[in-house]
Amino acid sequence: MSEPTFDDIFDELIDPNEELQSFLMSLDALLPEALLLLVSDAGTLFEGVRPLVLSPSLREQLVRQAKGIDGFVAGKMDNGGGCHAVYLVKLSAVLIISCAAAPAEDWRPDSSITTLLHNTLDLALYRQEREMLVAEHEQSVRQISILQQQHGKLVEDNFRQYRLNQEREKEYARKLESEIAKQTAELREANVRLEEISRLKSDFLANMSHELRTPMNAIIGFSELLTETSLTEEQYDYTRTITQSATSLLTLINDILDLAKIEAGKLELERLPFDLAEVIGNVAAMFKIPAREKGVSVTSRIDSRIPKKIMGDSNRLRQILINLVGNAMKFTERGGIDIQVDYEREAAGRIVSRFSVRDSGIGIPPDRVEAIFEKFTQADGSTTRKYGGTGLGLAICLQLVELMGGHLAVASEVGKGSTFYFVIPLEEASAEAISLKEHKGTGRVKGATGGRILLVEDNAVNQRLAGILITREGYEIEVASDGAESLEHLQSQSFDLVLMDVQMPNMDGMEATRRIRAIEADPLQRQNYVGLRARKEPLVIVGLTAHARKEDELACYEAGMNGFLTKPIIKAKLAMILSEMMPRLSCLEHKDPS
Amino acid sequence: MPSAKDIIRKFTELKTLPHVAIKVTQLVNDDHSTMQDFEEIIKLDPVLVTRLLRLVNSPYFALSQKVESISKAVVFAGMRQLRNLVAVESLRGMFKGDGVDFSPQKLWLHSATVAILSGMIAKRIFGKDGDDVFLAGIIHDIGLIVENQIAGEQLREACRAFREGKGTLPECERAAIGTDHAEVGYLLAKDWGLPQEVLSSIKSHHLAKQVKSVSSTGSILQLAEFMAGKMQYFHMPGPLEPLAPELAAHVKQRMSDYKIIIRDLPGEMVMAKELYESDD
Repeated sequence: MSEPTFDDIFDELIDPNEELQSFLMSLDALLPEALLLLVSDAGTLFEGVRPLVLSPSLREQLVRQAKGIDGFVAGKMDNGGGCHAVYLVKLSAVLIISCAAAPAEDWRPDSSITTLLHNTLDLALYRQEREMLVAEHEQSVRQISILQQQHGKLVEDNFRQYRLNQEREKEYARKLESEIAKQTAELREANVRLEEISRLKSDFLANMSHELRTPMNAIIGFSELLTETSLTEEQYDYTRTITQSATSLLTLINDILDLAKIEAGKLELERLPFDLAEVIGNVAAMFKIPAREKGVSVTSRIDSRIPKKIMGDSNRLRQILINLVGNAMKFTERGGIDIQVDYEREAAGRIVSRFSVRDSGIGIPPDRVEAIFEKFTQADGSTTRKYGGTGLGLAICLQLVELMGGHLAVASEVGKGSTFYFVIPLEEASAEAISLKEHKGTGRVKGATGGRILLVEDNAVNQRLAGILITREGYEIEVASDGAESLEHLQSQSFDLVLMDVQMPNMDGMEATRRIRAIEADPLQRQNYVGLRARKEPLVIVGLTAHARKEDELACYEAGMNGFLTKPIIKAKLAMILSEMMPRLSCLEHKDPS
Repeated sequence: MPSAKDIIRKFTELKTLPHVAIKVTQLVNDDHSTMQDFEEIIKLDPVLVTRLLRLVNSPYFALSQKVESISKAVVFAGMRQLRNLVAVESLRGMFKGDGVDFSPQKLWLHSATVAILSGMIAKRIFGKDGDDVFLAGIIHDIGLIVENQIAGEQLREACRAFREGKGTLPECERAAIGTDHAEVGYLLAKDWGLPQEVLSSIKSHHLAKQVKSVSSTGSILQLAEFMAGKMQYFHMPGPLEPLAPELAAHVKQRMSDYKIIIRDLPGEMVMAKELYESDD
């Protein structure tokens, strides 16, 4: 089937005469001086704007002749004027034309007039085709402009989408930020809770240390006292064993508490001047007896470039060295143990020094080296059974060395021995710091005995133990069982020194101390206290506490105490602090009237 | 006699318009939608993605480069073109089957022809973009498909009456079914959420007396419907409804333009054959 044309589709719109009329109109416009007549094949006549009037006979003759030939045929009109006819195949019609301006002799074929006329006819005939071309061009222009519009819209829309995406990204980033902020807040809160838990744990440990040390105090104190009574040899042996076991149990308790403190971040290093050679010497001396028993030597050496007076925590340094030497001693059967302090370099005004403890013991297999620094671990499980120990010592050393800014390591060879070493920066003590300490030391007259001491202590066992120890040191003693009672005693009696337990029922030691200081400061109240009114200096009060924490010590000083003694009471320590703290003058003043 | 609403209700109980077609139409109407939204909706149906890309890359769209993703199709062809193609793909499957009295597959060819012709008239004669007109062309006879599903026997009866010259097709439908496909199609397109111009053109495509403006979507649809009918791209034999006088006058005035469109249509149809040719 051939494609349908416009005429097929819009056949109802097509008027066959319309084309002839529109042709005639075009020609009229093109030939303003010509008279026109169009005769269709069907015989219909179409007249131009300027009608050509012909007799029917002439018209029929011209039509007949024109259809026969290709070109113009001439005719003579009734009025004498000439006219010409031509058959138009495209329109199926004969055109008759008369023009006065064109003389008859010019109508021969090939004359310029006939050529011109042919062109003019074509122009009129193909007017529709020209219109189609124009329409086609216009359609193209419209389609291009739509494409441009669509392109513009696409660009606009794509830009809009781009902006939207940007906004969405921003929104997402905002959400992310707020989410992060929320989570950070949650973490912070969780952290606060954890810190609170950690604080509670460390408080618990501090309390535990009190609960543990109080009975230890009694065991050690009384077993020490017991050895000084008249005993059979067997009884003496048993008593020594009790003392030794209790002492090692106390060491273990101290180790555990130390580790807990370090892990809770509660351990603070002291910064006081000390003599390094003295510390090393002490440590070496401590092991003289077991060394002699085992037949091994203990030697020590300090590089001469290292200053004598060092600023730092001598007790902790001693603790590390005792641990390391103790370990070495445990695992060494022959040969010797050598403690060395070597100069490494100077950095930022500090002397970087290397502490090493070398032994000729059994050594540590390489695959166990890491494990020995772990808590509760020794080189292998059987070691514990053979050599004893908790395995806490090295873990504590490791942490303490790290607190001092170093790192504990070991070099070892099985069968040949081990060397434990650490490198830490040492700070030389300034002359000022040393003199300050010495001044403190000389502030009291040592070696004096005698004087009245008020012991304020709620625990009956501790009352007895402290009582015995104090009496042995040559002092008189009076006992009060809480803070309120101590105030009563001070109303009627004078004392040279008060040993004040911190933790007591009713009125604790802190409160009692604060009250005593308040009474001393108030002249009216002072008159009611025999023990206070005659004094020129404030009464010396020494706190007694099982808490070995720095903040406990500080709290004692804040309450107005002059000194501080940790439980369990060790004989030597008690003697030292009493002789240091006992005011020489007041003691004499007190004795004079009696 | 059931109303158009009853027909639609029964139809939606049987089968619904694909979700994606409705969703995509919503996106086109939404100022806040982006190509990613189109991509997300359309990629749920991988077959649809393949078919859409085949259509977008067909000669009909004459894109300068091959498009390989839905988001790129949005960039190059625009959201409304993509909406039209989703409609084509959603409806294609409903126009299946053949018959003496009523042939869905012939109706599909008729619809595609009307759509293509409408697009040509809109662009070439009125200089306006043909996206909505094209969509109107594709779905203007959807009502017949709905009626065929719900009241097939009555529809065939109406078609026979129409062929025998007992009235216009809508008149015969109303006699046999109680409603006509223009009304049914209008309601379906309304549920679909299509633009108002498209809705009213569907409703009025058999109402030659209701010509408001020659360049309206409805007028263009009527012109295209008339021309497709005359060109034998009709779906069923029967007397053609005459062109409204306003439209006839317009064609006469722009005769050269319409001659060119009629001349160029076969070429356009060849280029667009992916749109209407069955893929099996």
